[in-house]
Amino acid sequence: MMKSLDALALGSSECGPAEQRTDPSTLRVTEIAPDDRIIAFDAAGLWQYRGLLRVLILRDLKVLYRQTALGACWAIAQPLFTVLIFTVIFGHFAKIPTDGAPYALFAGSAVVLWTYFSEAVRRSANGLVAEAELIRKIYFPRLVIPLATVVSPMVDFAIALAVMLALMLWYGAVPDWHLVLAVPTLIVTAMLALGVSLWLGPINVRFRDVKHTLPFLIQIWMYASPIVYASSIVPAPVRWLYALNPMVGLIEAFRFAILGGTPPDCFAVAVSVTAALALLVSGLIFFQRMERSFADVI
Amino acid sequence: MSMAISVQDIGKQYWRAPRAAHQNSLRDALSEGVRGLLTRRSEARPSQESFWALKEVSFGIRHGENVGIIGLNGAGKSTLLKLLSRIAAPTTGRIRLEGRVGALLEVGTGFHRELTGRENIFLYGSILGMDRREIAAKFDAIVAFSEIGDFIDMPVKRYSSGMYVRLAFSVAAHLEPDILLLDEVLAVGDYTFQRKCMDFARRLQGKGSTILLVSHNMFSIKTMCERVIYIKGGRVAYDGPTDAGLTHYERDSYLADAAWFRPDSGDLPVKISDVTITDESGAPRTLFRHGERMRIRARYSAAEPVADPHVLFSITRSDELLCCNFSTQADGAGLAALSGEGEVELLTPPLTLTADTYTVSMVVRQRGFERLLAAKIGGRFHIEHPVFAPDVFGVFHEAGSWSLRHQDGSRATADLVSA
Repeated sequence: MMKSLDALALGSSECGPAEQRTDPSTLRVTEIAPDDRIIAFDAAGLWQYRGLLRVLILRDLKVLYRQTALGACWAIAQPLFTVLIFTVIFGHFAKIPTDGAPYALFAGSAVVLWTYFSEAVRRSANGLVAEAELIRKIYFPRLVIPLATVVSPMVDFAIALAVMLALMLWYGAVPDWHLVLAVPTLIVTAMLALGVSLWLGPINVRFRDVKHTLPFLIQIWMYASPIVYASSIVPAPVRWLYALNPMVGLIEAFRFAILGGTPPDCFAVAVSVTAALALLVSGLIFFQRMERSFADVI
Repeated sequence: MSMAISVQDIGKQYWRAPRAAHQNSLRDALSEGVRGLLTRRSEARPSQESFWALKEVSFGIRHGENVGIIGLNGAGKSTLLKLLSRIAAPTTGRIRLEGRVGALLEVGTGFHRELTGRENIFLYGSILGMDRREIAAKFDAIVAFSEIGDFIDMPVKRYSSGMYVRLAFSVAAHLEPDILLLDEVLAVGDYTFQRKCMDFARRLQGKGSTILLVSHNMFSIKTMCERVIYIKGGRVAYDGPTDAGLTHYERDSYLADAAWFRPDSGDLPVKISDVTITDESGAPRTLFRHGERMRIRARYSAAEPVADPHVLFSITRSDELLCCNFSTQADGAGLAALSGEGEVELLTPPLTLTADTYTVSMVVRQRGFERLLAAKIGGRFHIEHPVFAPDVFGVFHEAGSWSLRHQDGSRATADLVSA
């Protein structure tokens, strides 16, 4: 009873049904094959799904603000209280020097950027696991998930930045033209967050301990960055070592963009940009390499 | 001319014991990740045991063809769909797809409970690969098809499961793919909605879409597909016309049933260990011709004697339609008390069911107060009828006596004999 497969030989000259409406020659062709290339970045495929990226970002925002009673107030309250606590403890009790700026503004400017970075990394690294159901059942470029989760905290960032600027006016400080530097700083920070997530996300798919390690990692990283203190208190001989943390240059640059004052250390900024690019490129390669097996292991 | 789907020698290898991986430390995780990046995946974990979910599978499907994928659980049907829909990557081989692919492996994956029906239409539509303009253009049609009405602006978490599935399917139904991959999704919703879904599939057929349907429901396979591919142990065991393929499958699935046939009646007092279907002479069989008689035998063991048992055999069609009951009570057959171990046998009248797959289930009750004593689902059989297909000719067919009277008084009679 076994029918020979030869009768169905591929690429034979047999024609489809005569009543067929669509002309197959105009159809999109998809080729699927095992892929062991080291670099397999499918930009065209990603572009095709840009609509999904947009919808996922909107979904994250809608869900986030609809489920919470405070809604958008949350985006204001969180950095505001963080700044308040830092100001009381590190500004008033510990009296940490701030190179002249009021402590609330000094810490606030860093908290705004740091909150964005840590949220982006946290959501993005957990994003793949959170969308496990989707990954198991539907095809789309998996890169859409970390991209969406890096972009969506930017709305919180914008709200927090507005609060920060209001706080400055309250203290009688007005930002100058340096403020435009906030934009490239944010972009490099987003690239860095994405680079980190492209590494952590796929690892998290296979080894869920990333999820538990991440809050700890983020906390250590925060204290290793000049947020509650100025990098000038780091002893000069080891400052280059300190600046190897890519967030050092970014936070200094962001603080400079908002408050003015001392320009950021060139070496630190160079490290930030280099690290962001290196992590992003290597992360993309790693992610593309791992994504084909997500559905098998998630 | 080229094929809509060409599958060339594909295989999919999985590694067993993926769970153990989660017990590894982060240190192992990181070194593993780096190793995974630098080496080929097949070399990365040489010590783990692997198995092939699919192996050396090849077939071609022409534009406009509708093909059913059948196979027992674990045969590799779902893996095949995952490879075709690009969810998972094949280990070997090549797949070439011509046209827009719509894969419905599970209706409603991607819906978000907090969002309204309206928002979910856009979300799910995008996930399935439609762009915003396309969804907006089809929005009204989607809402109308789903019969959701005014609930469209309510969060879907307030929906009934029926509404949820209807909305999700409506979005999927408007995808208008060139190639549609369907996994059991037609078996959702109530009867009217199922009809709509079948109509939708027929409409796609009419447009020349290629449909690949994976289903356990032989009824939908038979109505929709002219060809089946039977996957057995990860390989193509049969590829050809539907009827012959289903016969193959039925034979194997009966054997498979026998293996897992065990009492599913839990702690009920009577256990039914085996339900066998044989022909009149007592030889086990699963394929019957229309009009043949059948013996159904059930072995039981009763923990306590049952004085006046009511034994019921039900016959259910593959689409879950209960076709008939054979009942000791209805037949006025007073069986002796069930005690210890024994066998109940029913000899059916000539079966007049139309061609389809049927399941026999058995229930034993205490007569009078109808306490449930035992229940058992199992035993599948297949009816062949030379002429009558079930979707056209209903549940049963019996010959009737026909006559025709002309106005002028003369009479012409034709007594038909059973086909």
